[in-house]
Amino acid sequence: MRVVIAEDNVLLAGGLKLLLANAGFEVAACAGDAPGFLDAVEAHRPDVTIVDVRLPPGFRDEGIRAALEARRRRPELPILVLSQYVEHQYAAELLSAGGGIGYLLKDRVGRVSEFTDALRRVAGGGTAMDPEVVAQLLTRRGGDPINSLTPREREVMALVAEGMDNQAIAERLFVSDNAVHKHIGSIFAKLGLAASDSGHRRVLAVLMYLNGRG
Amino acid sequence: MTTDSGRLIRSGAGSGWYLLRGLGTGLLSLLGAPLLARPTAARSWADRHRHQAGRLLGRPITGLVGTRRALLWLPIQAVAGLGLGLLALLVVGNAVTAVIVIGFWWLFTPSAPPHLFMEVPVTGPATALTLGPIQLLVLILVALFGFPPLARLHARCCLAVLTPSAVERLADRVTVLTASRADVLDAHGAELRRIERDLHDGTQAQLVAIAVRLGIAEEAHEQGNHQLVGQMLGQAHAGTEAAMTGLRSVLRSVYPPILADRGLVGALTAVTADCAVPGRLEIGALGRVPATVEAAVYFSVAEALTNVARHSRATAAAVRIGIEAGRLVATVTDDGAGGAQARSGSGLNGIRDRIGALDGTLTVTSPAGGPSTIRVELPCEW
Repeated sequence: MRVVIAEDNVLLAGGLKLLLANAGFEVAACAGDAPGFLDAVEAHRPDVTIVDVRLPPGFRDEGIRAALEARRRRPELPILVLSQYVEHQYAAELLSAGGGIGYLLKDRVGRVSEFTDALRRVAGGGTAMDPEVVAQLLTRRGGDPINSLTPREREVMALVAEGMDNQAIAERLFVSDNAVHKHIGSIFAKLGLAASDSGHRRVLAVLMYLNGRG
Repeated sequence: MTTDSGRLIRSGAGSGWYLLRGLGTGLLSLLGAPLLARPTAARSWADRHRHQAGRLLGRPITGLVGTRRALLWLPIQAVAGLGLGLLALLVVGNAVTAVIVIGFWWLFTPSAPPHLFMEVPVTGPATALTLGPIQLLVLILVALFGFPPLARLHARCCLAVLTPSAVERLADRVTVLTASRADVLDAHGAELRRIERDLHDGTQAQLVAIAVRLGIAEEAHEQGNHQLVGQMLGQAHAGTEAAMTGLRSVLRSVYPPILADRGLVGALTAVTADCAVPGRLEIGALGRVPATVEAAVYFSVAEALTNVARHSRATAAAVRIGIEAGRLVATVTDDGAGGAQARSGSGLNGIRDRIGALDGTLTVTSPAGGPSTIRVELPCEW
């Protein structure tokens, strides 16, 4: 799989390239700023892209802007965004752009296998939300009906929000696919959401539920 | 007796000159009002008068004149200056007339005689030589005993109008302090951003890079790829050392550990002893010095000594630090080649910014051929 990276920090870029090469990805290009990134995407037509939120010259949200622009030019381009800390606003903006989106903390790069899993999920059109993002969203909500979920159901919900499919959740929690399916049905019922198994839409449903309404 | 009369004459002459000057300045205040009515012009005009008045009364003048008071002074000086000036002119003029009449009464024709005491015509030597000296004497006495009080009156009036009240002085001080505080907050903000950037781009990135290599090593170990394991572990290890070095330099730039451990005196002792050029350290009574000021002074002295060792070819250096009039003053002197302006480079300029943000000053005196002195002053009465 071909990857284009947008990252200006030499150490981080080096670590990413090493990690990707070791996992069998091909790094087609590594750009140091937003315009360079957009040019590289044009030139190399990668299967997935990795973009740092903060890029020169302003180091604020150039990466997000670049990601959304790249999406505009080539819809369905899978993008994994790396961020310094959890910024709910960016997560929401990215999600509204459709499937094949990921939002991870930079620290997550250190967890090699989790990172490559997330990258593959995004490349396949799925979603990858950082567990930290999800955890913060979960704890922010004080009232019911979240509290009506059992601890196990909360775990499942968190993994759904991260973008995992049923099989991955089952493997993670050491339960059967069937059990996961039942849990999800129960969760969606308790929260009053339309039950849906299709990957991106259900992640969106859960995240929007956690982020906004009620 | 002679010194007394000498002083009397000097006082009379000085006051006379002061009052006569008022004639000119009063006239100017009147005619030049459109030009002088501008704030900066009015203030410097008033300031001149203030200093003159202060000199006459022997009072020191400090601070600046407010615009409103300066503008108020224009009409007052037009009236008072002109008035007293004309009076003085009258006295002096008549004294001169008396002298002329005494000496040259014979030059005047009988049909247009000169007058003494305003009305008495001088027709012959008798009147000239009796009234003349009398008029002269009277006028001299008026000058010697009248001018000084009049001049002092004018000067006191001037200072009364132009000296800022306690309220105005406080308001001025508030303005100055507000600007200074804004500077300090800006500098603080810039420092915090710099630290965040250094830690984020440096230390954090290094830690992620190390984690990546360890993660790959773990996988490689599971797969039995020992060569890769070894390679990754080696790189991770090197990475930790780089991370520690980077972190150490960030910490040092925040607050030097040696300053935290040994205090300002200890830190300065150490940095003076470490300097390649033998140095002498003189420490005055310091009292309580705020941490930011300590750090700024320490960085300045350290940078100055580095420059001495590197560029000056000096054989001896002297570091002095003490409190002068509420300011912490540190000087680094060396007997080297001088010409520091060219060689101080960016190190001292960075320090200069730090010092400026704390309302202090950094001066470099370095004539070619030496000796050179770097002087740092920082307010220390927070």
